[in-house]
Amino acid sequence: MAIVARTIGVDLAGRRVLDAVDATLARGEVLGIVGPNGAGKSTLLRVLAGVLAPDVGELRVDGETRAQLGAKALARRVAFLAQEGQAAWSLSAGALVGLGRLPHRRPFAAESEADRAAIAEAMRRCDVSGFAARPVGTLSGGERRRVLLARALAVEAFYLLADEPLAGLDPGHQLDTLRLLRAIAAAGTGVAVVLHDLSLAARFCDRLLLIHQGRGVADGPPEAVLDETRLAEIFGVVALRGLHAGTPFLLPWQTTARRGSDDDRR
Amino acid sequence: MTPVGHDGLRPAVLLPALTVLTLAMLAVSLAVGYEPLDLGQAVADLAAGRATLPALVLVELRLPRALLGGLVGFSLGMAGAAMQGMMRNPLAEPGVVGISSAAAFGAVAAFYSGLSGAMALALPLGGIAGALVATLVLFALLGRGASTTTLILAGVALNSFAGAATALALNLAPNPYAALEIVFWLMGSLADRSMSHVWLALPLMAAGWLLMASTAPALDALSLGEETAASLGFGLTALRVRLIGGAALSVGGAVAVAGAIGFVGLVVPHLLRPLVGHRPGRLLIASGFGGAILVLAADLGVRLAPIRPELKLGVVTALIGAPFLFALVQRLRREAL
Amino acid sequence: MRGPRAGLGRRLLAALLAAGFACAVAPAAARPARIVSLNMCTDELVLRLADPGAIASVTWLSQDPRNANMAELARRVPANQGLVEQVLAARPDLVVAGSYTTRATVSLLRRVGRPAHEFGVPRNLAEMRAQIREMAALLDEEARGEALIAGIDARLDALEARRPARPLRAIVLRPNGFAVGRGSLVDEILTRAGLVNIAAELGIESYGQIALETVALARAEVLILNDTPDGPPSLAHEVLHHPVIARLSDRLRLVTLPSRLWTCAGPSVVDAIEHLVETLEPAR
Repeated sequence: MAIVARTIGVDLAGRRVLDAVDATLARGEVLGIVGPNGAGKSTLLRVLAGVLAPDVGELRVDGETRAQLGAKALARRVAFLAQEGQAAWSLSAGALVGLGRLPHRRPFAAESEADRAAIAEAMRRCDVSGFAARPVGTLSGGERRRVLLARALAVEAFYLLADEPLAGLDPGHQLDTLRLLRAIAAAGTGVAVVLHDLSLAARFCDRLLLIHQGRGVADGPPEAVLDETRLAEIFGVVALRGLHAGTPFLLPWQTTARRGSDDDRR
Repeated sequence: MTPVGHDGLRPAVLLPALTVLTLAMLAVSLAVGYEPLDLGQAVADLAAGRATLPALVLVELRLPRALLGGLVGFSLGMAGAAMQGMMRNPLAEPGVVGISSAAAFGAVAAFYSGLSGAMALALPLGGIAGALVATLVLFALLGRGASTTTLILAGVALNSFAGAATALALNLAPNPYAALEIVFWLMGSLADRSMSHVWLALPLMAAGWLLMASTAPALDALSLGEETAASLGFGLTALRVRLIGGAALSVGGAVAVAGAIGFVGLVVPHLLRPLVGHRPGRLLIASGFGGAILVLAADLGVRLAPIRPELKLGVVTALIGAPFLFALVQRLRREAL
Repeated sequence: MRGPRAGLGRRLLAALLAAGFACAVAPAAARPARIVSLNMCTDELVLRLADPGAIASVTWLSQDPRNANMAELARRVPANQGLVEQVLAARPDLVVAGSYTTRATVSLLRRVGRPAHEFGVPRNLAEMRAQIREMAALLDEEARGEALIAGIDARLDALEARRPARPLRAIVLRPNGFAVGRGSLVDEILTRAGLVNIAAELGIESYGQIALETVALARAEVLILNDTPDGPPSLAHEVLHHPVIARLSDRLRLVTLPSRLWTCAGPSVVDAIEHLVETLEPAR
């Protein structure tokens, strides 16, 4: 039971953004998609979510293609949290989270008990229950991001794909969000996140997929993917590594000599 | 849950209230006219099958006027809400963005060429064709998610072009009265309409309402952006087709029989939005009823005002709506800062 | 800024134009032989009273049988669109126009030395007769003028005998829902046809819009529709075909009277009176 993408190729505005990328997201794991800016991470996530159709390659969710499943069934299986969360209208937080139940609701039916329970649970887990009646426009950036995450959780999908869910959050809420995602994965959901922060990615993800210039460069456990060579060549950084209470961590510490010499050339 | 928190009124409360209000306006519209009419007597005569003069006036003159006012208002209100939901912009409205004037041009072409004399249905179909072309042009121009500036500019362009084309068509029309009739087409009126106009426009407008109403859940999802809406299972192409088709049918049909009445689709959704918790899906039908109430009220004003010849309906809605638009633009600019 | 030089230039131009025109125009004879008419109503009088050979041009509107009473005759002579260049090109010795002809055209004609004789719209039958005489004198066709008037009077006398015994209540409904008020020529036409115009009791003084509701509830006995049958479509004429009017035909007499018969308040007015009397005869 997994989302399996093979030889994905995507062209956007005449440019080849993704080229022959393979990716798999199994249930119960946290997959981190990392890479430098412009590598194609968001594009890949959108392909995995079924929101963007690839020009080349095949996507199967639990063995079935998007066409075989149908839009509604796919929506119930895969939840997607977009990068810039904007709500066009000043909905209340509770109503916004409620939108996550749309794949489960028949077009003009009222909310069911199951819907209400899912909404309440999602809001509790994201610590936004207190905002239920408040208009989203009156919340801070971070609070709004948590409400949007709650919306994605409310779908109760088998897979949750989040594009940079930590942007704009303070450190406490960043850690809380990642712990929440791990808990969701532990309960059986397959979670994929696009992350920029390599420390957090290495710490909280079971597996990392490294994308560079549209190609899948490495796929495996964080220690294997983020080795010295790759950090230097692809990210241009040198990292400190350590161990705390049995958990390894890495910390990008400085830019590499090659990068430094660019600056020194005056 | 408090009755009017930020989530607005429950549909079970709001919709019946709006329905009752609409029916009340219809009743008042039947009771008010140019001559005193004993409404009770007229209804009694009608029920008994007596073709007295009061019954005649009621059925042939007042009833079509009231019905048409309600139906046209419903179309314009709902189309405004639908367009705002689709474009995620509170300024979108058939009049502002030029769809109503394009529909007027289509209707004018069908009417003065004699086409609608040969086939009555040509009149609303002409209006629908005009509305359809304008809506398609608009969506092509704006692509995804229109900024306010782009939207208004596109509207100015479409309105200017359609207005000029209408004036040209009227100038070229063989009938000497035609050139003076531009005021009807561009400002709208319910005077001297008959039940034939009602039957002509009603099926097409109703089809439009159904198409637009079917997009309610998709519009809600669209609040979160196009990609999130797609991930929630709503196909954007299908949504656009239903919305464009629905708006063209209802606005085109309405304009063909009553001229281009503007600003209804701007004012009504804005006023009702807080009552539906800002949810674009719920706003659709509520705005329909709101539009019916507004147009009927404006038409009452037109008939009660001691001005002859009779004021055009679009004049009244513009007098209300244009300052409203100004205020709305100001508010949006302030919020953007 | 206009200097003396600019003013001189304008005067020179005007003088040249006048000279040119005077050369182009034949010396004024006793009987006009090249008549140009710039107005549909003057067209009709000219066509009735003058020899076709003496007419240089009439307006193009008179050639449409739906709008004009002498269309067939009009088609045998050239047409103009009321433009000054066309008037000059026709080298007329007499130009006639209506008081509603474009002011610019009329004043320009005056400036180049060939002023148009203007005719107003008669407000009653007496003024209509006076106008026929005036035109006849201008055309040097007094005999024909008197014959026309005599014919009209004879027909009016004959019609008087055929009027209904009691005057019938009537409303006139014009395009765009206008009614005709008291004291107008139409009023007199109605009276001569044995009808009484009830517009006044409905509050219409000289010219005003009447709501269809008012028409329906007014308890008229005759409804006269001032329509152009088979005309091109317009909203103005749609009003005259509103279903309520058809429904009213049960309880009153519906008479359609083409607008062209009385638009000009000319000799065709008698045709209008005759049509009314004939249609209403069985009503007695």
